[in-house]
Amino acid sequence: MIEVEIDGRTATVPEGTTIILAAAEAGIALTANVGCMGQGVCGACRALVRREGSREVETALACETKVEQGMRVSFLDRYTLPQQQAYGTADLADGWTIYERMLAAFPNATHCRHCSGCDRACPKGIEVQKGVELAAQGELGAAAAVFELCVMCNLCSAACPESIAPNHLGLFARRAVAASGQRPTDLIRRLHEIEAGSMAVDTTPR
Amino acid sequence: MSMNAIPWADALAALAAPPAAPPATDVQALLRRWHPDHQAGASVPLRVGASAGQACPPPLAALLHANTLIDDTDVAGCATVDTGLLVIGGGGAGCVAALTAAAAGVKVVLATKLGLGDSNTVMAEGGIQAAIGAEDSLQAHFDDTIKAGQRAGDPALVRALVTEGPAAIRWLIEQGMSFDREEQGGGAIRLRRKRAGGTSVPRILSTRDVTGLEMMRVLREAVLLHPNITVWNRSPVVELLSDGAGRCRGAVIYSLYLHRFVLVRAGAVVLATGGAGRLHLNDFPTSNHLGATADGLVLAYRLGARLREGDSFQYHPTGVGWPASLRGQLISEAARSLGAQMRNGHGERFIEELSARDVVAAAILREIGEGRGVERDGCLGVLLDTPGLERAKPGVLAGSLVSLLHLAHKSGTDPAREPMLVCPTLHYQNGGIVVQPDGSTDVPGLFCAGEVSGGIHGRNRLMGNALLELVVFGRRAGLAAASCDAARLGRANLDHVQDWRRALAAAGLPLEVRAPMLFPEVANFSMAADRALGRAPVLAAG
Repeated sequence: MIEVEIDGRTATVPEGTTIILAAAEAGIALTANVGCMGQGVCGACRALVRREGSREVETALACETKVEQGMRVSFLDRYTLPQQQAYGTADLADGWTIYERMLAAFPNATHCRHCSGCDRACPKGIEVQKGVELAAQGELGAAAAVFELCVMCNLCSAACPESIAPNHLGLFARRAVAASGQRPTDLIRRLHEIEAGSMAVDTTPR
Repeated sequence: MSMNAIPWADALAALAAPPAAPPATDVQALLRRWHPDHQAGASVPLRVGASAGQACPPPLAALLHANTLIDDTDVAGCATVDTGLLVIGGGGAGCVAALTAAAAGVKVVLATKLGLGDSNTVMAEGGIQAAIGAEDSLQAHFDDTIKAGQRAGDPALVRALVTEGPAAIRWLIEQGMSFDREEQGGGAIRLRRKRAGGTSVPRILSTRDVTGLEMMRVLREAVLLHPNITVWNRSPVVELLSDGAGRCRGAVIYSLYLHRFVLVRAGAVVLATGGAGRLHLNDFPTSNHLGATADGLVLAYRLGARLREGDSFQYHPTGVGWPASLRGQLISEAARSLGAQMRNGHGERFIEELSARDVVAAAILREIGEGRGVERDGCLGVLLDTPGLERAKPGVLAGSLVSLLHLAHKSGTDPAREPMLVCPTLHYQNGGIVVQPDGSTDVPGLFCAGEVSGGIHGRNRLMGNALLELVVFGRRAGLAAASCDAARLGRANLDHVQDWRRALAAAGLPLEVRAPMLFPEVANFSMAADRALGRAPVLAAG
């Protein structure tokens, strides 16, 4: 059995238990900072973790991190951005203006001081700082690829001293690339056929 | 049920021989004998409400038969907020409905029990259906959906679903969602397609095997940035409000921030509260997120909305069987779609892998029940032959099945070298609240979208039709609800609660059982304890 401390409560759980299940075992009400319970995709269970014998505080997703003897854990509540990065879906459609709009919505994107705080904070091992740099240079397609498996836990945004909001910048790049550039010919043709009335559906039982 | 099984090592040895094609199967007999919906005691008739007499699993029936969490005294003097539209639920359907109504100029409050996007949508892996292939048609999509649903689906709803599929994909791309593509030369692209179990042509569009993640993070961002939408996290709904004449006029929210109830009066309400997986029907593990506790079903039913196919649930065939710590997690149907085979303990294929989900799940339960399952560390299942898939298509695991790889990594195995033990896992509520094609229900002013609604999937859902449903019917419900008159909000009260209690008493049902559940037992939530936090005395400084 392993003993851990989570938000000030002690849990004694079998080896291999995840932090989130240990928290349930400790009697903590799981009403926030919890969602998918183990798949590691909703990003809700962000936590600060200190391992025994270490002074370093690390970030983790509690549903994907197993407890270790002497581990201390604090859940981090939903992180709200200091300033809302205001843009609308309509801003994403025009590839010619997209870089300007990105710089307008994320004025700090070019202020990266290369401290790597975002990279250390990311529980998914994404090269966040590289993605920020690519976006700042206007390489939105390359930036979008960097953030492909981002779960929007906001830990990089919390870690960034320049308030760049890296995950939101990465998501802007992803959305812009799709909305301004993806024009699949098969989809366009089918939309035309439906519009022209040549794709009727017969609902009578057959 | 036999507890015999083939030990893991023996099953691995049996895997070496190339398998014969699976035997022909009498599908109806298989389902009747082995599908969990059809087992003795799987359902009981409902005793009160608009669908009294209908079959329903006992744990869900207990909630539908329950007394309210609150009455008038709980909400006397509590804060009241007015809005054009109240959307309840922060998954895909709720976000799409909110975005659609907001685009029509309506002020929206979106209240969600957990946090925005912490839902089943974000966990969806496989993809979304839309009939866009040259060899495909809306008719083929319609026929596949009706057939897979054992002809129980509502043709008008299914027609709406398939007809607006391509437009839904365009809308998603406009919101900024990416789909996997294939270059066609000359710079043209087409969308990459996979085939779902139980369908006639490849129709699944996806973003690798993280389609729900890609969809949800785009929808969540769009909602957060929309000036007409206010998001309330940690705000479960505990009761709907009516005008005393049967019209829905809003809801009572419990704020986990304030530890208090808040009354929301609205021109209309869209319920997008998802399903019921956390009821763990028939003691199955579930793939569902923590909040899937049937809250929306309970509240809509109490206000007079009918239920349909309330006894029909989907057990996803390939839940994790081993290790026990990862039970409940899923291996996407994308694995079988890409060619992975399933083998029993004798190394035999036992069912066509791309049959409909209910059929594959029942076949796996048959193999286990008849002693041909595989046992590893006390866990039972059958084998998903991922090494065989990787040999047939080198690089496919890393290229197309990143979620599967991630899952295998967590269990400390290499799926390219070792098969995965899989067993069925409670995944989806096929039925739900009766809706019209515009998402409206029997209760005026109350709309439903997504898993909480019924009629689209009949008695079995196809892979990819859940994500499509939440977009198509999220848009339809959002648009129809937006046209409700919010100018005269008028009376909004809990009068229906008294009628409900009288009905419970008349049916001889206990008044001590309360619902909605809000959180499953594992969450350690007590409303009494939480409310006490809001009444704690403020200590004077010094």
